[in-house]
Amino acid sequence: MDVFGSFALVLAFVCAVYAFAGGIGAIVTRHPLLVKSTRQAGIAACCLIFLATFSLEYLFFSDNFANAYVVSHSNRDLSTFYKIAALWSGQEGSLLFWSFLLSIYIFSVLITYRNKNGELMPYVGVVMAGVQIFFLTLNNFVASPFQALAVPGANGAMNLVARADGNGLTPLLQYPEMVIHPPNLYAGYTGFTIPFAFALGALLARYPGEKWIHLTRKWTMIAWMFQSMGILLGAHWAYAVLGWGGYWGWDPVENASLLPWLTGTAFLHSVMMQEKRGMMKVWNVWLVFCTFALCILGTLLTRSGVVSSVHAFARSSIGSWFVGFLLLILVVCLGAYLKNRDYLKSENQLDAIVSRESSFLFNNLMLLVACVAVLSGTLFPVFSEWFTGNRISVGAPFFNKVNIPIGLLLLFLTGVGPLLAWRKTSTESLKRNFGLPLGIGMAAGVAAFALGVHEFYSLVCFILCVFVASTIALEFYRGAKVIRARSGASLFTSAVDLTMRNTRRYGGYIVHMGMVLVFIGLAGAAFNRDTQKEMQLGSTMQIGPYTLVLQSADSKPERNYTAQRMIIEVMRDNKPIMMLYPEKRRFVTTVENGTMVAIYSTLKEDLYVVFAGQSPDTQVPVIHAYLNPLVKWIWLGGAVVVLGTLVALLPNRRAVLVLAGAHEPSTATQTLQPGLTPSVIRREGHD
Amino acid sequence: MIKMRRLAASGVLLTIALLLIVPLDAQDLSDRAKQIGGKFMCMCGCSQVLTQCNHVGCTTSSGMLKELNKAIASGSSETAITEMFVQQFGTKVYAEPPKSGFSLVAWTLPSIYLILGTLLVVFVISRWRKHALEPVAGAANAGAIPQELLERARARAARETED
Repeated sequence: MDVFGSFALVLAFVCAVYAFAGGIGAIVTRHPLLVKSTRQAGIAACCLIFLATFSLEYLFFSDNFANAYVVSHSNRDLSTFYKIAALWSGQEGSLLFWSFLLSIYIFSVLITYRNKNGELMPYVGVVMAGVQIFFLTLNNFVASPFQALAVPGANGAMNLVARADGNGLTPLLQYPEMVIHPPNLYAGYTGFTIPFAFALGALLARYPGEKWIHLTRKWTMIAWMFQSMGILLGAHWAYAVLGWGGYWGWDPVENASLLPWLTGTAFLHSVMMQEKRGMMKVWNVWLVFCTFALCILGTLLTRSGVVSSVHAFARSSIGSWFVGFLLLILVVCLGAYLKNRDYLKSENQLDAIVSRESSFLFNNLMLLVACVAVLSGTLFPVFSEWFTGNRISVGAPFFNKVNIPIGLLLLFLTGVGPLLAWRKTSTESLKRNFGLPLGIGMAAGVAAFALGVHEFYSLVCFILCVFVASTIALEFYRGAKVIRARSGASLFTSAVDLTMRNTRRYGGYIVHMGMVLVFIGLAGAAFNRDTQKEMQLGSTMQIGPYTLVLQSADSKPERNYTAQRMIIEVMRDNKPIMMLYPEKRRFVTTVENGTMVAIYSTLKEDLYVVFAGQSPDTQVPVIHAYLNPLVKWIWLGGAVVVLGTLVALLPNRRAVLVLAGAHEPSTATQTLQPGLTPSVIRREGHD
Repeated sequence: MIKMRRLAASGVLLTIALLLIVPLDAQDLSDRAKQIGGKFMCMCGCSQVLTQCNHVGCTTSSGMLKELNKAIASGSSETAITEMFVQQFGTKVYAEPPKSGFSLVAWTLPSIYLILGTLLVVFVISRWRKHALEPVAGAANAGAIPQELLERARARAARETED
């Protein structure tokens, strides 16, 4: 099967090269047969990558310990669940997994647009094939996961061998979220290839309008959603597995995932400027280019060992390949831009400073400032070593100081932006839209202060969260009220109807509401408490309102590890409320330790208990307990963000009716609103 | 509406007043250890702040925390403790760059980005405003390719693509 997988990868490489070279030929000659054959080659390359990935997974499931990658990342006792995750646990497999996810996107694009956009698709296909060739080069010639296990023989020649068992999977990865976190994050990274390919393709094809944005909107949102889910799942994994009581440590690998998310978020906002007003065309193209480049940069940081990280499981000299690819991307993008920039001419005009356009500009500014601040902070240790010879670390305190004010400003804009009108917002409208939310926000701030929220940033965050939530709730209320007056339905039904009539706008509001919940959770971090104690059986520990009693300890042998478990009773007001089982795991094959945190989670706070090991002096178990307020809101907010994105991806109800046979109003008879691009009139539901 | 405005104004004033009278908490020894320890990185390579490094098997953080507690107990100042750790581990022990020398670059860069970005936004807004006020002059200077060619390209894009 390893020969099969290897052969499939080589064939995929050949097909991708043909799709690339033939695609260029198709652009030049416009020969229909060549266009079709290059598209088929692209589809074939994707199918071959699927086969290669499934064959590697088969090697894991069949415990084929003649394969070097399987030996390094699996063992017989590893559960089926984690044998899936073993695929991306090392350098070679994760790169193949990257190619696999990229192929899913490329396959979907090639199939979806097989009979559409005939002039543009060859350009898009060439760009996608170019990206695919890079990863297939790595898969085939630099980091192949199909290398057979070999040992040097007596005569110096390499002899193929098979081991009885493998080394096992890194304990840190043996956690349920590790089966879903990397696929989500990678799906985000690879997904941004599609808007990149369309943006570059449209620029090379000299398409001046918003078409590429219409075509890629859903792909961008899907990539963004996966990236968001990946980041949040990673944070949850760090929270539940690393056992340090936090979820975001501004680790370089965490930062690397945040960078394209920030530029992607900026793009999702500024794209509306182009659709509505024909503005920011150059900016949008560069935002997409930068987002894709940051995805590659993130991979470079994760794999090259340039910066040290607890998350970097795969480190090697592969970084130089990514540097080369990154430079190539920048050169190609710059070249395409310089050659065809005239086709990106904007219809730039701003009627008033207090307008939706300005708010988008400031939103983009803050997101971009956050991005470059995080990037320069992440790379500062490298630069400091270059310039001074000393490596100066940049840790969480720096990033918090820099990014908290930026985050709060963004939160403020989240509330303000959607309520400003396009072109010009009148003073009356400002008063009508902001008076009540501002009052509610301030009242909530006073209440929070009275309840003991005295930390400045947290207080400001709570005020802004209530303000933004009020603005969103009012938007729903006003719209639903109008529908209720017409239909007589309940307010909730009217709100659902309202959402379905303009999914993009109200889906966006739901996403904003999710972000508010995330911010509420983040604000709680200022009130984290922790305590650590050596505990004899029967002894107690107090943290906040909770009393922890160490009832007993046991040892639980499992298939792949032995768990040493502390059995802790949690009491509140002298009443038992639950049992917690924090444990330490000793993995047999890797002879490494892992931890399993026990969490009692409520909306108010998380009681987070870690069995930190035994005291080296007394051999008494050490229990570290944390009381982390509002953490659950972060995960809840993440779920709402995903829900909002899914809603925004749905077609508008009225658009569905049009498709179902209702009469679409003739665009010829419509009067174009001043300042709006014609495409807006054709498409409903833009906010 | 007037009532609402009054309510909002009172809310702002009350918040500011309450913020001004926040009492400063007295810090005990363990708080001081946490505060100083929060300024150093754990040197095990986990990229975590010393007081937060709790990953299984890390002996480095426990050793460093012991040293920190010892130094605090012996009455060492924060500067002396910082010097001790920097001597022992080098400048990579800082959790945040010191606000002196080359490290100042790290602190000033975000402000520079913000200032430059704001200037850019202000410039863009003023240019767009100018275009709005002088639409004819704006259109005439806008690009190198003729408007007719651009329109033709736009029509081609619309013709050749579909959602």
